[in-house]
Amino acid sequence: MDTQKTDTVPTGAPQSNSVSRCTKGFAWSLALSSVVNALLVVAKEKSPSMQAWMKRMTGHHWITHVAIVLIVFFVGGIIFSKLGGKESSENRLSLVTMGGVVIAAAIIVAFYLIAG
Amino acid sequence: MTEMLLMTHVLFGVACIVTTVWVFVDVLNGSAANAGRIRAMSRAAAAFMWISFLFGGYWYVTFYAADKAIILKGPWPMAHAFFMETKEHLVIILLLMATYLPIAVSNDLVTNKSARRLALCLAAAVPLLGLFMEGEGAIIAMGVKVGLLGRHA
Repeated sequence: MDTQKTDTVPTGAPQSNSVSRCTKGFAWSLALSSVVNALLVVAKEKSPSMQAWMKRMTGHHWITHVAIVLIVFFVGGIIFSKLGGKESSENRLSLVTMGGVVIAAAIIVAFYLIAG
Repeated sequence: MTEMLLMTHVLFGVACIVTTVWVFVDVLNGSAANAGRIRAMSRAAAAFMWISFLFGGYWYVTFYAADKAIILKGPWPMAHAFFMETKEHLVIILLLMATYLPIAVSNDLVTNKSARRLALCLAAAVPLLGLFMEGEGAIIAMGVKVGLLGRHA
């Protein structure tokens, strides 16, 4: 029996396009929580009452901010993982993930460029 | 004490950047031989990021108010108004990406094109955003320095 293992992709090898449910779920969750992070920035900077509430919750608005985003990320990731997703959407995972990250970063930078 | 907290924050931030660049190069040359190392280094990158985040977060919440007052009274108020404000919120995205990296590389990166593309995107984005954070940190430190120099001039 031939037990030799190859350590590179053989030419013409079938390309598997199936990623784990966890990978899909947390990809969507990463995009969502990044955007939630950016929207929270705008909300707390524009609404003094919101910022005061966030400060009351943990003693510092930033700690509450981080806690909310992490809860959205982990809870969202678990929920999206259980929901699964279409196999056809797997090719768009990097687009969804990076799209969410870029949009969120752009909102934060633009907000402080304009509001600052 | 505060300087040690800050240096630990920077040290582990740099360690996360270097480790993630390692992951990027390994994923580019993905094979069965380095799959285990990619997973181990991704976990290390996430751990380094969390350590850096916790040290930086503790310093920000506990000690930054004094530096902020110096910056805002100095010649570089934008070191707080733009650079610190964006840094304290962009770093949360960086933490999320670093946390997700070990999940993204848990798939078969050798034969799975979607998983490999996702891992490469993350392993490129983390060091890029990390370097941006390092630059912002330098400008914030410079904001404090010029604020103190102006006070004693």
